[in-house]
Amino acid sequence: MRGPKIGLLQFFSLTLLFELGTALLVNVGMVSGRDAWISILVGCMAGLVIFAGYAYLYKLYPDMPLSRYAREILGKHLGAAVAILYVVMFMNTAGRDLRDGSALLVMATLHRTPILVVGALMILSCAYVLHKGIEVLARTSLIFLFLALSIGAIFTVLALLSGEMEWKRLFPVLGDGFLPVAISVVRQNYMFPFGEIICFTMLMPYLSNDRKGVWVIPAAMLLAGLLISYTSIVNITVLGSDMVERSPFPLLSTISKLALSELIQRLDILVVMLLIIGVFFKIAVFYGAALVGISDLFGLPYRTMIYPSALIILFSSILNARSLTEHLDEGGQLLSDVLPFFTIVIPTALIIVANFRRYRSASRPG
Amino acid sequence: MLRKLTLFLLSGVFLLMLTSCWDSIELNRRAIVSGMSIDKDLSKDQKYTVSFQVVVADEISGKNSRGNSPVVLYSGSGRSLYEALGNASRKVARYLSLGHVRVIIISEELAREGISDIMDFLERDSGMRLSSLLFISRGQPAKDILSIITVFGKIPSSDLVQKLETTSKGFGFNFKVETDDVIRGIEAKGAGAIINGVVVSGDQESGGSKKNVEDIEPKAILRTSGLAVFSKDKLVGFLDGAEGKGTSRLYNKLQQHDSIIELGEDNVAAFNIFMVHTTVKANAKDPEHPIINISIGQQAGLKESSGPLDLTRAEVLRDLEKRLSEQTKEETEAAVKAAMKFKSDYLGFSEAVERDNPKGWKKVQDRWNTVFTRCEVNIKVKSVIRHTDMRTRSFQSKTGNKKGGSS
Repeated sequence: MRGPKIGLLQFFSLTLLFELGTALLVNVGMVSGRDAWISILVGCMAGLVIFAGYAYLYKLYPDMPLSRYAREILGKHLGAAVAILYVVMFMNTAGRDLRDGSALLVMATLHRTPILVVGALMILSCAYVLHKGIEVLARTSLIFLFLALSIGAIFTVLALLSGEMEWKRLFPVLGDGFLPVAISVVRQNYMFPFGEIICFTMLMPYLSNDRKGVWVIPAAMLLAGLLISYTSIVNITVLGSDMVERSPFPLLSTISKLALSELIQRLDILVVMLLIIGVFFKIAVFYGAALVGISDLFGLPYRTMIYPSALIILFSSILNARSLTEHLDEGGQLLSDVLPFFTIVIPTALIIVANFRRYRSASRPG
Repeated sequence: MLRKLTLFLLSGVFLLMLTSCWDSIELNRRAIVSGMSIDKDLSKDQKYTVSFQVVVADEISGKNSRGNSPVVLYSGSGRSLYEALGNASRKVARYLSLGHVRVIIISEELAREGISDIMDFLERDSGMRLSSLLFISRGQPAKDILSIITVFGKIPSSDLVQKLETTSKGFGFNFKVETDDVIRGIEAKGAGAIINGVVVSGDQESGGSKKNVEDIEPKAILRTSGLAVFSKDKLVGFLDGAEGKGTSRLYNKLQQHDSIIELGEDNVAAFNIFMVHTTVKANAKDPEHPIINISIGQQAGLKESSGPLDLTRAEVLRDLEKRLSEQTKEETEAAVKAAMKFKSDYLGFSEAVERDNPKGWKKVQDRWNTVFTRCEVNIKVKSVIRHTDMRTRSFQSKTGNKKGGSS
């Protein structure tokens, strides 16, 4: 693909922030109770396996986004239909993440601000960065990664020194056997946030180095898995698994418990910052993936569709649910029923058909 | 030119948005609530009376002080806490801001009927923090606890927090109990919460005005008193003395305390006990009859010896160590017995059982409060007397020894 390229470090930070995004804040894997941290790690491993498939497709077509090689493999019409499905899915997921972010913000701090205003400001800032280009988004991510990691460092120091962590709340490990963990992984953890890496198939052609580039994403996924699992451990040791399970936004409750004597306390604002940073990159990446798809499919310049798409994402975020409860419920169904179709079924079909075609063309030389 | 002007104006508009003041309430429109008390309402159609101790900032900072009371108490009643908050709010000129509530006091009367409904509000509200401390007012209306002017600090709630902190670090067995601790206690199977008791002793009438601190001896004094223990969310009793000490020790919250051994008439040794560490482990091969193994390690420094003990000899100290261990064991046994009497496993033995035998725990969890009373409890105590402070023998012991030698 022509155009600007993204460096490895920047791609790494973009992937990492994307993966951390909302997963750091909402309660991930709590179907498995106090073993949530294990199901996150298992989910991460499953995500890496899924990513191997995307990497394989990338190796075959290193300078094409998914929307183009789908047409290459499946033929013009079927391929275009699949690509449109993906664009719709990316926009819908961007809308869902926008709703996640704005709903949590309104619930936790901005009680009386209309959700539309919060969402509009957020999507406008995403649109602005994407207007500057995907590579600007990647560079921005590097700056914000430092901010996010320093917040993480402060959080860690606070958690360790405040004495609120009770390690025994993590035990017994796997008390109910492996089944709840497996259920949690299948229902949620391998898709959220690891399967969502599918949208990077749209951005990978921008990688400046296609040999090393393939390794940057799994490295970021692995690190993200470890960080999310670690956060989940801190949440459970501070609050206890039952309370985490009942919280839509456990990290905020956790940090409200942490304090260094009278001096350092009430650092809730750090978590709110983390929420805004994470949600921003999550939306921006899905949004950017959709834009790349649209411009590739319809041959439009990339910038033309930025503001129309922003409107679609904003309104789908507002209209898709009445309440946070309904929204989260819908999200759970999407993760277990719909997303696997996009992240596993279609890519697998693409790999099989691509190989079949290559086999056919190779077996009939000349 | 026009384009530049438009851009300039537009960025000005966005600057305004950056303040995100849609939700802002200026400080001078807020009334900071430092403490909350929850009582049972006596009238038929209301359920709670909630009082808010509000800080009057002008009186604290001194510049615009009119010499009035530094805090004010506003009350409201309602069928739920939120309704009571609303009713109280109508009496206050400012917006009641719950983000800085340090203490929440629940009356004993209400606690005996159950506190689940209260806890839900305290946990759910995004304005409240989970780190507020809970207390049970012992035999008094909870409101009385908040209407005492205290000596140290102008805000009585902060004074109570500091009292709790100092007693938990030395001499006392009370420890910090925050909102989430109580909820975890209620949630645990066959268990219950545990909350500090608090009382006002002295002349309650004059405690509420500044007269209370005008004399050398305060007329009314606020102090922590005992541990209130619950079965599920209902208060079942208070633990004092040995039971309280033992319970706090089982929670691993007893950091430093005093201990006295009576060796005979006019022969008392007093110790400062520190570095107490308790581990509770279960052997639940047979989940119907679990065995709980408690091991306690503690260090002591001798503070007082009014008898003829020759403290230069190591075996004398060994003997004292043994007595100390025995006393600790008795206290712990008393605590366990009390819990079994109340049929409430607030001591957290269930967690130990679950850790030891997760599958067996599944079978007994729903009737744990009866299984719990059948637990066999083994207590092992190891005490070490590290030193006898600044002297070895007592000056009394020298005379005692001489007498002993001459006779």
